[in-house]
Amino acid sequence: MSASQEIAYLLHSRGVARELGAWVVGLAFGREGRSLAFGLGDGSVHVADARAPAGDWLRVEAHKGAVLALCADVAEGVLTGGDDGRLARVTPAGQVEEVAGFGRKWVEHVAAHESGVRAAAVAKAVHVLDAKGQALKSLPHPSTLAGLAFDAKGKRVAASHYNGASLWFVAAREDKPRLLEWKGSHHAIAIHPEGTHVVTAMQENALHGWRLADGQHMRMSGYPAKTHSLSFSAKGRWLATSGAESVVLWPFFGGGPMGKAPTELAGGDSVLCTRVACHPQHEMVAAGFEDGLVLLADIASGRVLPIAPPGRGAVSALGWNANGALLAFGTEQGFAALLDLSKK
Amino acid sequence: MSDTRAPVPVTVLTGYLGAGKTTLLNRILTENHGRKFAVVINEFGELGVDNDLVVDADEEVFEMNNGCICCTVRGDLIRILSGLMKRRERFDGIIVETTGLADPAPVAQTFFVDEDVKRATKLDSIVTVVDAKHLSQRLNDSREAEKQIAFADLILLNKMDLVTEAEAAAVEAKIRAINPWAELIRSTRSAVPIDRVIGRDAFSLERILAREPEFLSGDDAHEHDSEVNSVSFEVSRPIDPEKFNAWMTELLANKGQDLLRTKGILAYPGEDRRFAFQAVHMIADGDFISPWREGEPRRSKIVFIGRDLNRPALRRGFEACQVEA
Repeated sequence: MSASQEIAYLLHSRGVARELGAWVVGLAFGREGRSLAFGLGDGSVHVADARAPAGDWLRVEAHKGAVLALCADVAEGVLTGGDDGRLARVTPAGQVEEVAGFGRKWVEHVAAHESGVRAAAVAKAVHVLDAKGQALKSLPHPSTLAGLAFDAKGKRVAASHYNGASLWFVAAREDKPRLLEWKGSHHAIAIHPEGTHVVTAMQENALHGWRLADGQHMRMSGYPAKTHSLSFSAKGRWLATSGAESVVLWPFFGGGPMGKAPTELAGGDSVLCTRVACHPQHEMVAAGFEDGLVLLADIASGRVLPIAPPGRGAVSALGWNANGALLAFGTEQGFAALLDLSKK
Repeated sequence: MSDTRAPVPVTVLTGYLGAGKTTLLNRILTENHGRKFAVVINEFGELGVDNDLVVDADEEVFEMNNGCICCTVRGDLIRILSGLMKRRERFDGIIVETTGLADPAPVAQTFFVDEDVKRATKLDSIVTVVDAKHLSQRLNDSREAEKQIAFADLILLNKMDLVTEAEAAAVEAKIRAINPWAELIRSTRSAVPIDRVIGRDAFSLERILAREPEFLSGDDAHEHDSEVNSVSFEVSRPIDPEKFNAWMTELLANKGQDLLRTKGILAYPGEDRRFAFQAVHMIADGDFISPWREGEPRRSKIVFIGRDLNRPALRRGFEACQVEA
């Protein structure tokens, strides 16, 4: 961005920003519609009132070590996992409650669904819990888990690991996974909004996917770096991905992504894209880059709206609220911001 | 770039069960040296220190999908190091302890192969603790013990109180036959100043062959009963980079499984800087480092540690990389 001074970044006119002092590991808007929480590498969680973000943000100590994972909880607030072996929830009022403890093991991935089910990946097991924190089941895997996701209905949970991913029915009476096999180490994972495909990011700078109807494999390669962030567009037509010097989008329509070239947006700066988050309603994608740049791109036209300028650390967290009016991001250097993008 | 902080140094601690690895680790963690370490221990570790920066590892070795069967990485390390980076203000360095039976190659290769690990950390050195009394026996019954010596940048010859000087010299000769360049420190109950173990920067290209390899006198490296050994060559004419790359690429592709570690310092024609090269099995890394010293003879050197080394063929190969006389 050579002309960065002249670009009107929306952060200045529509944003509220704070320096939080540690690596922003994750962020989520509470399903109750009021809170926005940032989880940090120093174990703290910062809670802002999403409706009045200019006010004080609450800082609470959620974990003794680092927050390793954070997601919106089933009904309100957020669910967090830490390297202190605890699964915790933080309420919109900033109250921390331990949901479960796993000793010295790290709680590396968490997921929750509004239907009232929670999941935490701890070492080689996915622990499934209900909304009250009651443990429902523990699902074993062949190796340590590196990614976790519910499907859109909360009926299935997918976990990525070495040599593939496992797909489980949460409510099954007999727990037997559908094993999606592919040699190699799989980490980030996403399920298509219609439940038709599972996609993982791999150690080898490539994605792997499975079409669940027939088990067809999908190889999506050509990335210069590892993909850490995967996001399907609202209706599942596109899969946005990080790991290239642009936002790489794979088409999941017209027979794609097999045999189709991806669409690349917002490239040209030779800076790696580190985070992507598709808008919850429209075919737009927010993207964060290694130099701190945040932008919003319209997928059909490729038009780019600058959100935040480079300079405050690699973007490490990015997310929308449910109706897509609010966008939040955080960086490795502890910079965090919330923008109101609704029509004024 | 966003993160301009220096990479975190990582020390890898290997050694056969009972050699004194845990004692050394406890010393590093409890001695008052003003530095804080995050420690990655294996699940069979018996570390008695209560430290909130102790992390359990599962030693998960992953093959890479790049058509090279010996290209393996430690998947758990990639995850753990990435996790620790999120709170890197809390420590000055990381120590990775491996089980006594672990092959050090996947650990070392992780630092070459994974870009996230490469960006945030640097391998400081591989330290191997050996039991002076029982090493010979270990070498006879375990390939891992041999590999741990082959991979070491620094070897702690421990339990010196249990051996005579003659026994110690014999054990050192065995070690030298396998690995002529590692620094050897004698110790009892793993008592060594921490600065001799941590912060050595021994794995960096800049430090390659900073120490002259200590080969045994004569050519008796072949006579010991261990199957891993080492050879080293030196040539006086400059090395043609293209010839060297072609030779090394083919050599590593064909013999990489048997070549545990390769290190070289090369003089390129018309180039005042030294070129440093190292490889772990098939994975290689190289770059220009500091210039040759004034008046220093610009002799290129290479050392191989591995199994079934064909000395004449390696010598011919290296000599043929020189520019025409």
